[in-house]
Amino acid sequence: MFLKSIDLTTALRPSYLPDEVLLFVQDNVGLYEGKSKIPDHQNGSVYLTSHRICYVDNADPRKNSAAIDLKDIDRFEFYAGFLKSSPKITLIPKPSKRSSVQSRAVSSLGSPSRSATSSPLSRTDSPFRVPTTEPPPASTATWICPICSFSNPVPSNFDPATASAHTPLAPCLACGIKPPLALVLKAAISSVTNRPPPSSSQFSGAPLPIRGRTDLPLSPSDTSTRPHSQSPISNSNGALQSNTRASFQCPRCTFENHPSLLSCELCGAPLISQDPSSGLDNSTLRAESPGPTLSHLQLPGIENESIKLSFRAGGEKIFYERLKGCMTQRKWLLQGAPPVPRPNRASGTESGISWSGTSTPTGERMKTVGIAGLEQRRLEVQKNNEIIIGNAFEDLEALMASAKEIVALAESFASSNGNTSSESSAVANALGLVTTKDMLGGGSNSESLYITELSRNLAEFLTDDARGVLRKAGGIISLVDLWAMFNRARGGVELVSPSDFEKAARLWEKLKLPVRLRQFKSGVLVVQGSDRTDEKTIKALLAWLSSLHSVPPDKELAWDWQTFGRGVTAHDTAEHFGWSIGVAEEELEMAEDRGALCREESDEGLKFWENWIDPDQSPSSDQPYNVI
Amino acid sequence: MTTLSPSTTFTYPRHYNFPPFFTRQPQLTTFHAQCRKWSLLIQAYCRFHRLFRLPLDSPLFTNERLNRRLVPEDARAVLDFMRSEGRAEWVRGGEERSVAWVWWRTPEEWAGIIGDWVEETAQKNTVLTLYELTEGEATVSQEFHGMDPEVLQRALAILVKRGKAQVFGQEDQQGVKFF
Repeated sequence: MFLKSIDLTTALRPSYLPDEVLLFVQDNVGLYEGKSKIPDHQNGSVYLTSHRICYVDNADPRKNSAAIDLKDIDRFEFYAGFLKSSPKITLIPKPSKRSSVQSRAVSSLGSPSRSATSSPLSRTDSPFRVPTTEPPPASTATWICPICSFSNPVPSNFDPATASAHTPLAPCLACGIKPPLALVLKAAISSVTNRPPPSSSQFSGAPLPIRGRTDLPLSPSDTSTRPHSQSPISNSNGALQSNTRASFQCPRCTFENHPSLLSCELCGAPLISQDPSSGLDNSTLRAESPGPTLSHLQLPGIENESIKLSFRAGGEKIFYERLKGCMTQRKWLLQGAPPVPRPNRASGTESGISWSGTSTPTGERMKTVGIAGLEQRRLEVQKNNEIIIGNAFEDLEALMASAKEIVALAESFASSNGNTSSESSAVANALGLVTTKDMLGGGSNSESLYITELSRNLAEFLTDDARGVLRKAGGIISLVDLWAMFNRARGGVELVSPSDFEKAARLWEKLKLPVRLRQFKSGVLVVQGSDRTDEKTIKALLAWLSSLHSVPPDKELAWDWQTFGRGVTAHDTAEHFGWSIGVAEEELEMAEDRGALCREESDEGLKFWENWIDPDQSPSSDQPYNVI
Repeated sequence: MTTLSPSTTFTYPRHYNFPPFFTRQPQLTTFHAQCRKWSLLIQAYCRFHRLFRLPLDSPLFTNERLNRRLVPEDARAVLDFMRSEGRAEWVRGGEERSVAWVWWRTPEEWAGIIGDWVEETAQKNTVLTLYELTEGEATVSQEFHGMDPEVLQRALAILVKRGKAQVFGQEDQQGVKFF
């Protein structure tokens, strides 16, 4: 099915796939199917990522949100708008005969298991593992000469992991110009992506898929419960590949072109145009959608109807440009790519050993058990790291190609140092998943859209269980602290200005996000979960104070501590609840303001007590002193 | 109505040992409750010690045991509150405000008590000196025995206004005739 339902994060944004990068956001967009509007999908935000186009409805985001995988899109057209008609971008799906296999496979996975298609790189586990398979037949990989566009086969002895600037590369077969290394590297990697696994059981055992930075890696048992999840995808990829190759015959000169080419190598005729024609043929078979009543997300078999995005508040041009770039880059092909093969595979005894925790050790592995085995293993990992770092920093292109590995490496370093707090998250964030100003569309309200997105970003940041920002701060954090933390987590790029930050925070309530901004009497702004109310805080404070009645004091007290308990300073409170001192002061004063506490100023500083002064507030019925 | 408690020492209320009692509460409701408690305490204390004037440096405002003290500024606020209740009055108003009358009996009440006493003892139309009234043997059992002369003057002034007494005489030789 073309439109798929998607998972949303707590902040009501699409939750991204592991390698997905957000490229653009535009609000006030409506969806059309064919010529008719899709009901309940008429006012929402559109997120363009490297893999998908996600629509998140404004009114009921949990129910009415959908996504289109870019890989299912065959073609897209731009309509500039006319008079009252808004500019639109039409997305035409791939014809069913090709996409059906694939889409069925994808839909059978469903959203929870979408991660199975994800990168096999585990960021928490050892990031480098040897594929248990032999390297793919090199003949499947082709690179396209940047000079003459001739598709050359990648040399069979080319190993992407060991390749460096000094690796001899064969020149282009047609023009004789030597290709840049990065080009061949990319081609080799993308060919690895599309390669069907030799054995599905072996393959599914090897990588632990991860899904997004918020989620924990799936447990091995989880993976083993659906060993089939990897195979249909890979098989369908394979099928698609062969299918594609067969069908990419130039309609004009019948030259067999490589599937990644956009125009015929020989005669220059556009190749893409043949697909939509067949797609349109199919779509004409279907009756016209009967208007706003169609419940089209549930109907099977509607695959070839085009989807239109109607941009009612502008932003269509940038969206179109970015989409174009996206479709050319085809980042989704990298998804599910096994890591770059280890260079020392050929070095003898270690060949074929998988580092993955789930795979059973092979016979060779058994020989090197104990300390010797551990040492050997450590040594190999070290060597591996050296090679990867060495390769990655050779030039920018190569760095981008091996970004995944580098991030994984950085994270494993960070976690092995026991410092998982700010550094690792900074790395993860530096790779995107944050909204920046240039991702947002034009139009008069781009500023407010930026703030809205920032607001959602922030809510995600706060409620992220892995990071536990709020939890660590005792459920409440001052806005200034959060601002500092957030900007630090952004890794020093695309910093957020304080005023934008405050505006974004003020939007939480309106956007119905699970956090809220609160202003204390003194004007201090704090952030807390929306379920935390003053009443709850006071209750917690009073419960704590009353528990002090039964704790004998360390020194003799002049007053009846069993009756009155003890006074607490802001410092004590901060310590007890895990708040910052500023927050503790404010909370105590709030409780005082509500009459639940009273204060005592003495040489020892300001202390707060249960309110025994006001008989209405006293914890137990206090007998007022009666003189008459 | 007993005028003197049987014990010889004043028993402080429980909240006198509650440390925050000596800090002015910023929260209005709490402050109101605090003032009320102080007001009752001051009245009880003055009644016990038969005090009519209360200076701001009274030992009442200092709790030695707790090592806490209601600072004069706050004590003044408490007495101002009592004034609004009609239970206190500054001896000298204005900036000075360091000593206050504490009306554990208001002048009206005193006037009533004296009038009742005169009636009970059938002393209408007799002339009494003010000294006799407060220090004389006949009034030892009475609450107004040992009364502050100024308070007495005010109580008598009220009786005069009601047409129940007449005050005459010189400065310290004053007498009063009840009708």
